[in-house]
Amino acid sequence: MARIFGIDLGTTNSLIAAMENGEPRVIAVGENGSALLPSVVAIAPDSAVTVGERAIEMEPHLTVERGGRVSAVGFAGGEYGAVIRSAKRYMGLGGDEIAPEDRARYMFADLSGPVVRFQIGKRVFTPSQISAEILRALKGSAERAFGNNENEKVERVVITVPAYFNDGQRQATKDAGRLAGLEVVRLVNEPTAASLAYGLNKMATGNVAVFDFGGGTFDISILSIKEGIFEVLATNGDTHLGGDDIDRALVDWLLAELPETLKLDRHVWNSARMAAEDAKKRLTDVAETDVVVELPGHSIRKHLTRDALEGLAAPFIARTLKRCELAIADAKLTPDNIDAVVLVGGSTRMPLVRRRVAEMFHREPLCSINPDQVVALGAAVQASVLMGTQGDMLLLDVVPLSLGIETMGGVMERLIHRNTTIPTSVAEGFTTAVDNQTHVDIHVLQGERELAKDCRSLARFKLGPIQAQPAGVPRIEVTFLIDANGILNVNARDERTGREHSVDVKPSYGLTDDEIERMLEEAIDLGEQDLEERLLISARNDADQILGALRKQLGEFGRLIDAGERARMDEVAERVEAARTGADRELIAKLVEELNEVTTPFAERIMDAAIKLALEKKSVEELS
Amino acid sequence: MIECLSCGRQQEPSLICAECGSPLAAQFDCFAALGLPRRLTIDLDALERRYHELSRKIHPDRFASKGPKVRDASLRATATLTRSYRTLRDPVARGLYWLELNGEKLAENNKRVPVELAELVFEVQEQLAEMQLSSDPEEAVERATEIAARRIELQFKMDEALVELDRNFAKWDESADQKMLTLELKTTLSNIAYLRTLIRDVDRALENSKAA
Repeated sequence: MARIFGIDLGTTNSLIAAMENGEPRVIAVGENGSALLPSVVAIAPDSAVTVGERAIEMEPHLTVERGGRVSAVGFAGGEYGAVIRSAKRYMGLGGDEIAPEDRARYMFADLSGPVVRFQIGKRVFTPSQISAEILRALKGSAERAFGNNENEKVERVVITVPAYFNDGQRQATKDAGRLAGLEVVRLVNEPTAASLAYGLNKMATGNVAVFDFGGGTFDISILSIKEGIFEVLATNGDTHLGGDDIDRALVDWLLAELPETLKLDRHVWNSARMAAEDAKKRLTDVAETDVVVELPGHSIRKHLTRDALEGLAAPFIARTLKRCELAIADAKLTPDNIDAVVLVGGSTRMPLVRRRVAEMFHREPLCSINPDQVVALGAAVQASVLMGTQGDMLLLDVVPLSLGIETMGGVMERLIHRNTTIPTSVAEGFTTAVDNQTHVDIHVLQGERELAKDCRSLARFKLGPIQAQPAGVPRIEVTFLIDANGILNVNARDERTGREHSVDVKPSYGLTDDEIERMLEEAIDLGEQDLEERLLISARNDADQILGALRKQLGEFGRLIDAGERARMDEVAERVEAARTGADRELIAKLVEELNEVTTPFAERIMDAAIKLALEKKSVEELS
Repeated sequence: MIECLSCGRQQEPSLICAECGSPLAAQFDCFAALGLPRRLTIDLDALERRYHELSRKIHPDRFASKGPKVRDASLRATATLTRSYRTLRDPVARGLYWLELNGEKLAENNKRVPVELAELVFEVQEQLAEMQLSSDPEEAVERATEIAARRIELQFKMDEALVELDRNFAKWDESADQKMLTLELKTTLSNIAYLRTLIRDVDRALENSKAA
């Protein structure tokens, strides 16, 4: 039987792992043999895709070149191609659910729809499609790592999701797997997966808290482990709370003195984000550091102490602790009943996080397994449980949010309470309200609030056609079943005839089956292409990127160059354009380099002009 | 009688096929699902062991590579098992379920104030009304503090009622007077339901006052 692989599809990094001789092992997928594949996807104007470290290089940012010149590089977004990071933040969301601060980060297409879509070139991409590219890259790299052995194809996988993901976010993750051509055998909650990785050798029995603070999401799960049964007692979390938020707070502090227009500039913002992230990581080991962002002609240089960073991070960490309290209460325990606390996720490297967690649970947390890898390792363990090669080990997880229906007066009637062990089902009887009614509309909700309007709409469906009868006579039993992935399934039965009713469930958010089919047909399967082809595509990307940027800049800032310079530029650009259609990637690369050189003074003047314009009222002293 | 989808054997409803051990998606009562007699008293440790033992045998994780029919049966059987376990584990849910099996049901929106709790209930409701009406913020804080103290009292009553429920389970199990038993069980459960609603109202009021 084909092996099942475990995948941690993270906000910041993604990993793939498998069992080797009874031990879970991560597979090297990064450029430098690292297990971490950055969850960053670059899409060129012609829709060519690059994933991982190379995609990070294509992010819009400022770079200091030879001779100290600062220039703006990278896909600028929209028609010039874009680089999407943290796509997981947007999984399963509707356009109306995008936070205001996220709207400036990317170009979104039509935010009124049931699915967020990024506008890139002439095409639109959903977060599921972006995640599918990450999954494809993992699949391709893992298969190469196994020497493209026919017997080691990555086809069946376990994918981890934040425990607090709602139905729509889970469905979107499954869709991503399907779009990548994978069979998603199971979705597993990240903290639960981590507990499996630890539980393999240690923690034979007792209550365990898993504190999972990653790049974009936070989860706390409380489990009871008894003779190989891992039973989740309660879970809580926030799917929009992670290290990203601390980075953003740092960026705001770094760029505080810049005028608004420059703060929103994608090149400036991303450079500041990179500097902020680096500084945050350094401060895990040292007490103070300098943070520098080089702008053309100016630099922002600020001194950052660990204390100051902790001051910025404290509100976010306080939010995680509040969630912990709620989970412990739901598990009907107190912190003193918890026998072990496990740290998961890169953000738990922050010393402040460790201190606060230790204070809350009155014990030192465990972090003996690399917090970046433990979820993927656990996913591999669950994969082996599913293959039947893990003895008596069994995971009993819960649904994180209550599920109910809208009743008279817009009230949410809870049918399945949060923290109910899954799979679970509940049957509810429905009837008609008026004579000869042929359909009953049902609105399914997820959330903890009293009113339907405050809960998240999950789906709507129509029961029927119902035979014309007086009001209240028809009896239809609807079964709401949450499967082991935490995803809702609905079916209905006429109680009198015993006949199954067809239920046409329309998800309120997310993709329909038809849309997924269409995307599958359209998908360019880059995973199948060989290395040479990928390098060619990547060279073409570079060409498109620089040509696109140049075209835009010439349109806007043509006045900043003289005729001779312009002619030279046009000439090289034309040669790049010609080479681009050919298959000689070395020629393309050489010409791109040449064009880059020719245009650098121009790009520098543009940045300079933009900054001068923006800084008219600001003195250089204020900045430095 | 139901038929096993894996081996075709006809048998009494159960979670597991007596012939081949495959999961069966049968509809039956919570006690039967866990192989227990319909008694109110339950040994919780034994119940948990039984639940784990059955989970190991029928959980969807055990059938990930099997055909769709068996996977579906496993999913439904496990959903039934989970629901049954949760119902029986909680004494209140167990009591309510037992009543239902015996053709009795608590009124859905039970407005009748339990006699033993009448005094306490009226006081709490009066205080809640006062807090909502008071426009003076200082007075509102004072009322909220009073109500928070009341909450502790209500929780104490609740704990008492739960202990009484548990103690009476054994007595009721031995009782021959079905009518009397049903009446007593209904009264106790109705008191608990009433207290639960009141505590929820108090919590909500306290939360609102905190927000304001």
